[in-house]
Amino acid sequence: MLFPPDFLTRLEYLSIMSKRVFRGSLLAQRRTMQMGSGIEFSDHREYSVGDDLRYLDWNIYARHGDLLLKRFQEERDLHVYLLLDCSRSMAFGKPAKFDLARHLTAALAYIALADLDRIAVVAFADGIISEFPITRGKARILPLMRYLESLPTTGQDTNLGRTVRGLLHRGSRSGLAVVISDLFDEHGFQAGLDQLRYRRFDAHVLQLHDPLEADPQLLGDVELEDIENDSVRMVTVTEKNLRNYKRLFQEHQFSVREYCTNYGLGCTQSPSVVPFDELVMRMMRMSAVGR
Amino acid sequence: MSFAVPAALMLAAIALPIIAFYILKVRLRRMKVSTNLFWKQVYEEKPPRSLWQNLRHILSLLAQLLLLLLLVLAAADPYFAWQALQARRIVIVLDTSASMRATDISPSRFEAARASIHRFLNGLRFRDEVAIVSAGHQPEVVLGMASHTPTLRRALDSVQPSDTAAALESAIELAKQLIGDHPNGQVLVYSDGCAQRIAAVETTLLTAIDDEKLAGANENLSQAANSASTSTSSSSETAPTTESNSELVEEPADEFVGELVGESKRDDQQNATVQVIHHTLATAAGNVGITQFQARRSLIDPVGYEVLVALFNASDLPIKGRLDLELEEIPVDVIPFELKPNETWTRSVEKTSLEGGVLRATLSQLAANAPESDSEQINTLPTDDRAWAIIPPRQVQDVLIVSPGNLFLRKVFEANPLVNVTVVNQLPDSWPAQSIVVLHRLIPPILPQGQLLVIDPENDSNAWSIGKMIENPIVTEQDEDSPLMTHIRLDNVLLPEAQEIKFGDVATTLAATVTGETVYALLNRSDGPCLVLSVDLERSDLAFRTTFPIMITNALSWFAGQPGELQPSVAGGQLAKLNTAAISPTETDNRTDETVAPDPSEVNDPPIRQRGLQLLSPAGAETAVLSQQVGPLDEIGIWDIVQAQSDKEESQSQTVQRFAVNLANAAESDLRPEEAALASSGGEGALTSAWFSRPVWFYLIVTATAFCALEWFLYQRRVIS
Repeated sequence: MLFPPDFLTRLEYLSIMSKRVFRGSLLAQRRTMQMGSGIEFSDHREYSVGDDLRYLDWNIYARHGDLLLKRFQEERDLHVYLLLDCSRSMAFGKPAKFDLARHLTAALAYIALADLDRIAVVAFADGIISEFPITRGKARILPLMRYLESLPTTGQDTNLGRTVRGLLHRGSRSGLAVVISDLFDEHGFQAGLDQLRYRRFDAHVLQLHDPLEADPQLLGDVELEDIENDSVRMVTVTEKNLRNYKRLFQEHQFSVREYCTNYGLGCTQSPSVVPFDELVMRMMRMSAVGR
Repeated sequence: MSFAVPAALMLAAIALPIIAFYILKVRLRRMKVSTNLFWKQVYEEKPPRSLWQNLRHILSLLAQLLLLLLLVLAAADPYFAWQALQARRIVIVLDTSASMRATDISPSRFEAARASIHRFLNGLRFRDEVAIVSAGHQPEVVLGMASHTPTLRRALDSVQPSDTAAALESAIELAKQLIGDHPNGQVLVYSDGCAQRIAAVETTLLTAIDDEKLAGANENLSQAANSASTSTSSSSETAPTTESNSELVEEPADEFVGELVGESKRDDQQNATVQVIHHTLATAAGNVGITQFQARRSLIDPVGYEVLVALFNASDLPIKGRLDLELEEIPVDVIPFELKPNETWTRSVEKTSLEGGVLRATLSQLAANAPESDSEQINTLPTDDRAWAIIPPRQVQDVLIVSPGNLFLRKVFEANPLVNVTVVNQLPDSWPAQSIVVLHRLIPPILPQGQLLVIDPENDSNAWSIGKMIENPIVTEQDEDSPLMTHIRLDNVLLPEAQEIKFGDVATTLAATVTGETVYALLNRSDGPCLVLSVDLERSDLAFRTTFPIMITNALSWFAGQPGELQPSVAGGQLAKLNTAAISPTETDNRTDETVAPDPSEVNDPPIRQRGLQLLSPAGAETAVLSQQVGPLDEIGIWDIVQAQSDKEESQSQTVQRFAVNLANAAESDLRPEEAALASSGGEGALTSAWFSRPVWFYLIVTATAFCALEWFLYQRRVIS
């Protein structure tokens, strides 16, 4: 059973904790980055021909003779997109990374639904596998959990770029996009995240890995079977090879962290043995510090 | 090439599973990983499982197969034909006589010989068989034929020098028997060359006789050796061994010549294939020793004892020193002496002691009695600087004389210092328990218990009845074997008359007349021995004869149970006889089995082994006494026979007999080796082997170890990088 009986209780507790500790800084209480027809003043900008004269600040024009247009922050429902990696590499480990990923997806969705935000879950591997359509209301958590339970790990590859392209082609409104994946993307994780940035998505990366991936217990002559694409590689693993592997793995983790830091994305990296609620709390704490 | 264990070649079948495992190893372990993304980058510079890596696997298989092959060959124990043909059978004869304790070679001759044998064992060739025989008082095979060097070393280290003479010739004969008809037999004799004075005699004899007469020659040799040893104890001005072998002994060398390397001497008298190679480890060191030390009770003085001591100066320098005599650690005399070169000095000393005990003689203050002479090399053997003797103790006896009055009878007891005399002139109401009762004429109807001496009984008793008077009896029959009649002659004693006595029980006649009437008898009563003399002391001249005090002294000694006056000191290595009279039967002896009727002979004389006797050496080692012959006593000092006394509360041991053991051998005290022995001393070079002396399996194992290291290297390259 993916979700134990007390899972909802833990989600509720997590939701309450998130409101009390991080009031005004989470999900639905966030303001969108869209400027529009809201009532809350944001800033001024130069008037240009064609602009709606109703938003011209006449008081400033009267005092200073400058034509400045008032801008207002648009108040709209926050759309939360949870991009869940369903590639077969997520099935690695004990417990599998995929289990923790689904727990996290459910937890984040519950918190968002509880704050009256809209959520959508996009399962992806080498592309979009399936989708839980955009929805709102706390009551939708149970169908979402059933949907998550039914999700298998599949695909022959991990391609975040293709997934994001598919998401954007569907005309999805910008919002908060949480990528839950191990980011073992041979095509490069940067392509997908770049597209999210370009489309003004507020992106957050939740990168999971198994301890054996960081420190594999291999030595000698072995056949390495890639469970994602079933490719087999006969190698002789030496101490030196192991050291190189660990170095490359850490470099990969560092590159993800560095990318998110450089572009202002939220980033949470964790081994898959950490409980989901602890990880959610850590993620929200980091988001609060970032703001 | 042949194999000692060809069946071990079957072990080569182990190669099959090795190859099978190698083939199975091609199917590598399959490990699932979440992605090959990083592994691709790891191996992106160098393709995985390159040709060299595959080759390394093949090399590893070859190394393993070669390793197995070498081990199988080693287990099969291969050898070459020339190794089998050149294998030797060697018997090492190690002299363990007392002279090997001499310290002229540091730390001692024996240790130097042992070290030399260890060096020889270092160069032992493959398939050589070695046995070790110790040549003490009797030759003993310490270890039979063996090729395992550590075992040989352990056996060699277990050999210890003794305080006895060397039976070197018997040991060599035993060694030859061990070799048998082996084509490459060798006898290596490690000695100090001193015993070869006797060996030279044997060699001369052996050249003249055949094998069948060999045993007879050995007897003659032993007799010659014994006569030489006997003459050593006599007082003479020159060394007895030098006298008996004057043709063979030359002046000893003055310089250190131990372990000389020279041509080996081969004795081919008995067996043409057996080489006898002598290794002489000795210098021409001098020595002064006690060659004879005996003590005995005086025949004249009841509390006196006599000591016979002989010293021998076995050096080329005049020696002076002193002889310290101690009785039970108390000095009794210090005798200075001066000895010329090769002089034997003999003295007899008389002393008195009632208690007796252990008498010890020690040489001290030894110095060369010549200017500019080296005093350090005049006495290099400490074993013969001390000697011991046992002086039997005297017991004071209480004597109650019941007599109407006879001065001679009273005086003959009072003259003995070992007697406390009490005289009464009528029969007492009660009789003392531990006293000897002398009944002169006055006889009670019931004889008292204990030891009795009855002289001239006037009336009957429960043990006898008085018969007719014997007129002018002439004593013609005496029991010469009885200790009661030692030094007594009654045939010339004037006896006017004597009482005829008819004994109720069986009596042992000690003296009887020509007509058969008993004059002096011994009654073996159940409640104590009783001597009966039927001679009238007033009317005969027996009281005026020396026979009378001797007769009384004999009776007192017999009552006291003193077995003899002399307890001779034993020469090292000899056997000693147990005095069964001094040993009390144990509780085990007295216990009878109700269901089985005991053998009367066993009841009266239980076996020695059942008496719980232990022989205690001077060093404290205990061995059980199983027969009347104890020994060999191969350590100088005092040996004790102890008997466990099982008390109700605690068990303790009691010393029932003691033996004094001395070296007492002039041949062993003379440490100067013969020049001929030194000249014939064989070197080690001919005995040890070349570098390639180890068995083939050894080199196979070394090679296998190298291959094992190669495989380890390949494994490291393959896995650890």
